[in-house]
Amino acid sequence: MNGITFTLNGKTTCYDGSATDRLLDVLRDTYDMKSVKCGCKEGECGACAVLIDGVLVNSCCVAMGALDGHEIVTVEGYRGTARFEVLSEAFAELSAVQCGFCIPGMLLAAESVLSKNPHPTEKQVREGLSGNICRCTGYNAIVNAVLNAAKEGDGLW
Amino acid sequence: MVNGYKPTSLQEALTIRAREQVIPYAGGTDVMVKKPEGVPFLFLNDIDEIKKITEDGEYIRIGAAVTFTQALDSDLVPPLMKEAVSRIAAPAIRNAGTFGGNLGNGSDKADSVLAGFALDARVRLVSEKGERIIPFDDFCVRRGVTNLGDNELIAEILLPKATFDLPYYYKKIGGRNALAISRVAIAGTYKAEDGVLKGISVTVIGEGAFNRYRDVEAELIGKSLDEIRANADEYAKKFIGKMTFTRGRVSAEYRQTVVTNLITDYLATL
Amino acid sequence: MKDICQSVKKKDHDPKIEGRSVYVDDYNVTASGKPILCGRLLHSPYAKARVLSVSVPELPEGYFWVDRSDIPGDNNVNIVLDDTPVFCRETVEYIGEPVGMLAGPDEKTVEELLGQVRVDYEELEPMLDLRNGTETFFNYEFGHGDIHRAFAEADKVYEEEFFTGYQDQTYLEPQGMMAEPEADGRMFVHGSLQCPYYVHGAVARAMGTGPDGVHILQDVTGGGFGGKEDFPSILGCQVAVAAKKAGQPVRCVYNRREDLEFTPKRHPALSIYKVAVKDGRVTAVDAAIRFDAGAYSTLSAVVLQRGIIAAPGVYDIPNVHVTGKAVKTNTVPCGAYRGFGAPQTFFAMEMMMDHIAQDLGEDSIEFKQRHFAKQGDMTSTQGRYHFPVPIPAMLSELDEMSDVIRKHKEYAKPQSGRYRRGIGFSAIFHGAGFTGSGERDMIKATAKLRKYADGTVEVLASNGDIGQGVRTTFPKIVAHELNIPLERVYYNHPDTARVPDSGPTVASRSLMIVGELLRRAAIKLRDIWQEGKEQEVEEHYKEPDFMIPFYLDRFEGDAYPTYAWAVSAVEVEVDTYTGLVKIPGAYGVFDVGTPVDYNIVVGQMEGGFLQGLGYASIEKMSYDGKGRIRNNSFTDYLVPTSMDVPNLVAKMHVEEYPDGPYGAKGAGELPLVAPPAAYLEAVEQALGGMHKHRLHTIPFSTEDVILELNKEAL
Repeated sequence: MNGITFTLNGKTTCYDGSATDRLLDVLRDTYDMKSVKCGCKEGECGACAVLIDGVLVNSCCVAMGALDGHEIVTVEGYRGTARFEVLSEAFAELSAVQCGFCIPGMLLAAESVLSKNPHPTEKQVREGLSGNICRCTGYNAIVNAVLNAAKEGDGLW
Repeated sequence: MVNGYKPTSLQEALTIRAREQVIPYAGGTDVMVKKPEGVPFLFLNDIDEIKKITEDGEYIRIGAAVTFTQALDSDLVPPLMKEAVSRIAAPAIRNAGTFGGNLGNGSDKADSVLAGFALDARVRLVSEKGERIIPFDDFCVRRGVTNLGDNELIAEILLPKATFDLPYYYKKIGGRNALAISRVAIAGTYKAEDGVLKGISVTVIGEGAFNRYRDVEAELIGKSLDEIRANADEYAKKFIGKMTFTRGRVSAEYRQTVVTNLITDYLATL
Repeated sequence: MKDICQSVKKKDHDPKIEGRSVYVDDYNVTASGKPILCGRLLHSPYAKARVLSVSVPELPEGYFWVDRSDIPGDNNVNIVLDDTPVFCRETVEYIGEPVGMLAGPDEKTVEELLGQVRVDYEELEPMLDLRNGTETFFNYEFGHGDIHRAFAEADKVYEEEFFTGYQDQTYLEPQGMMAEPEADGRMFVHGSLQCPYYVHGAVARAMGTGPDGVHILQDVTGGGFGGKEDFPSILGCQVAVAAKKAGQPVRCVYNRREDLEFTPKRHPALSIYKVAVKDGRVTAVDAAIRFDAGAYSTLSAVVLQRGIIAAPGVYDIPNVHVTGKAVKTNTVPCGAYRGFGAPQTFFAMEMMMDHIAQDLGEDSIEFKQRHFAKQGDMTSTQGRYHFPVPIPAMLSELDEMSDVIRKHKEYAKPQSGRYRRGIGFSAIFHGAGFTGSGERDMIKATAKLRKYADGTVEVLASNGDIGQGVRTTFPKIVAHELNIPLERVYYNHPDTARVPDSGPTVASRSLMIVGELLRRAAIKLRDIWQEGKEQEVEEHYKEPDFMIPFYLDRFEGDAYPTYAWAVSAVEVEVDTYTGLVKIPGAYGVFDVGTPVDYNIVVGQMEGGFLQGLGYASIEKMSYDGKGRIRNNSFTDYLVPTSMDVPNLVAKMHVEEYPDGPYGAKGAGELPLVAPPAAYLEAVEQALGGMHKHRLHTIPFSTEDVILELNKEAL
């Protein structure tokens, strides 16, 4: 039997486990991608969000078998990019990171917003982050950080 | 792969479906929440035939594995369906969740199914033996129960083009502005000529099942819009009289009141 | 603004945003090299039952069942009292109470085996009635003036009841703790927690080792909000007992459903107010407050104390009588949550004032204004407001932002049509630091600075960064006083083996109390600074000498040295067809003294404000007739998303506190406390005011709006 072949943060990878295994668990336990957090395992908080083929998806709601031939990016793969630098800087500028638990998912949600729309309105940013629960900030700092990143990183997205 | 099949064609998928017990997997957003153990998954997420939105003379055809985000980005999808789909959960769920899954899991709160009911949608079901096309009304039996055969898969959702441009009414009430399951929702379309109602659909979330009350709808057809608007509350009562509301995350009283208000508003603003 | 207010890049920004921070669930390996066992708890399915027998299936090698018979020390968790068991005693007292733990290398196998543990219960009748419950953990009573005379002489007496529901902290990282036996025999316990020394005391007692036998480290913690104040002590004991038995590290991380259902939350409260009014002025408040404590006392004593002290609100009221009861019910023990008892009573008092004003035909903002306490006035416990009370100025600033004074009058006029507007106003304080003489008599905080030969300085204290930023603000204070770059001062997550007890991370005390100790320590170090030498300085808490001594038995004296203040205005638009409540604007002005880092403080204000609005509106959680909480998932317990209150504005007002570092007071809890009453007042106004719909309860949901409007139709 063949394994499940996919790209994880740019590296071709083959998973031999069950096709019904949860991507979230596999990322954390098999591939040590600990940036991917488990907040609810029901698709209701966004802490485990990753990019699959560039699109934001909650990894708790994905079975491994679905990934054959696809490309996954977690913060471990995203943090070396110029886009990450701009977002990180913008988040830092507004102290938008508090407890940090929602942040990896939030960051990828931000990337997803900007890759779809490099110059979003505040409403579009709020909409884009609406599946990522943050209990600390009240969201203002995060939303403003994404808007600032869009300005500072003009041309990157 | 272990515990899973990943066909690349619908035909291949149907062969597996006929051969053994599998759980059809399209987007994963429902099936992974209460992850069933011990049954292999049949992955439908990479079958091109059911990942497309196309049109023919009669229908807009939405493949079962089309995601909600795909529909939102498409020019072919009617505005009512887009509006309903845009209120599903949040982007990460809309990026994965599919039309086939929303319909197939038999939820009584499925936003795309609500819009489908209002748009006279049909579903194309396929098996190794052939296919059948049935209205949503016939497919959705009751909460958790559908008319999907053991050997069948959902191939497409068919939205009649005749309903595409019709004026519509839509309102969703969830527990919050995003990541919210519909507690009550209403969708409807209507058609009028020269101030006379020629066709109407009304369907709601809140009954524990999707219904169309075609007899009440038929009563309205042929009446002048002015007459319906002026007596909206009376006509609304006719619908309400047929409905039974369920208690769940909110009370039946809440659901009945809001549905009454919204059907009245819908009819008063035709 | 002072230099110290300038925002800096947070010290933990990079590791957190890069996803490198190690939360307790992220460890793969341990210091000993031994693999980590997964521990899962068996929770009671009954609210009250006698445990007749427990039968555990035959366990494969490497799997362990752990219950109270395995506890080396005693089965009482050290919290305020010691009635909470590590594992259940002969009876279980609430749904979710841990009966035992199953630990082993493979999580799935552990779950399977756990499903095979058979417990015979004899079901008993649970107590689930807050109003009529007679068993109380704590009973307090205090007051001043002559309440009887005030009521006898009153023009009018008002009596109303208010109810506030559960609120779950919903930190995004669920509870999790891990224990590792060390080669020297010590037990090392670490995890997601706020108060290392609380856990230290509890684990040492359960393990029977004395303080040197254990040490506790706070891992990176994904939010607390009070929820990780007492609970980690219990879970910490459980994993420690399991690790001892297994001779191997054991970790237990709650899943979200367990966390929502079985961990402490804000006390539901029934507040019964009787108020006397004479010549248009409130002359007496008699408040009877009942808090639903749950099955064990945990933190209820201190939560209730703060709650009842706030019962008369921010007002100068000559005659006051307050009783407070923490009622035992067979439900999950309630604990600490941002605001710590005060949100319940402030909500009640603010609504009461609003209702009285409406009855008197006076605008309630003006009515409240006429009653605001001033500097020098007596507090509810016969202490003094020693420092200026800036609420009038803050109200003006609030009005500039929100137009609340005009709108409040405008929306009070009769409205018709589908959409109706309302705006509410509330004013509250947060008593800064521990209640009463706690700092002086119980905590006795000590903080240290250690300077290394290379000129770097380490902060040694036991206050955990739970997102509020003390890993940044503590070093900021020290670097400022030493006049060295911030990069040279650092504050690691505290390990009780290395740091002194500077007290728990609670009550918004860390910055005000410990920050001041560090400031003084830094000055000391500056004075003795010698290049190239390792040096250490230490500071101890000293109560400010202006304070009127507090006596807890009489609730007399200064309950707090000073107060942080907040005013808020919440505007709503109610859709009378659907019950949906839109919030076009939510405004707060907050005085936390000098903000030691502006962005961090604004972040606290905005985050707390949104939690307060959630508490008032969508965060519904309750137990049924069997004592079961059904809202145990993120589908059923809803907290605000980024789309719920887009127009939330927080502004700072600075009234410096001379005994806090650079004038800082407590910050964290303040912003949650004001919005609930403002929200409900606004909704009530939109529904036509008290004479049509008198509202008393939060959360008040879309459903509640419709059911309330249906009453009108009846």
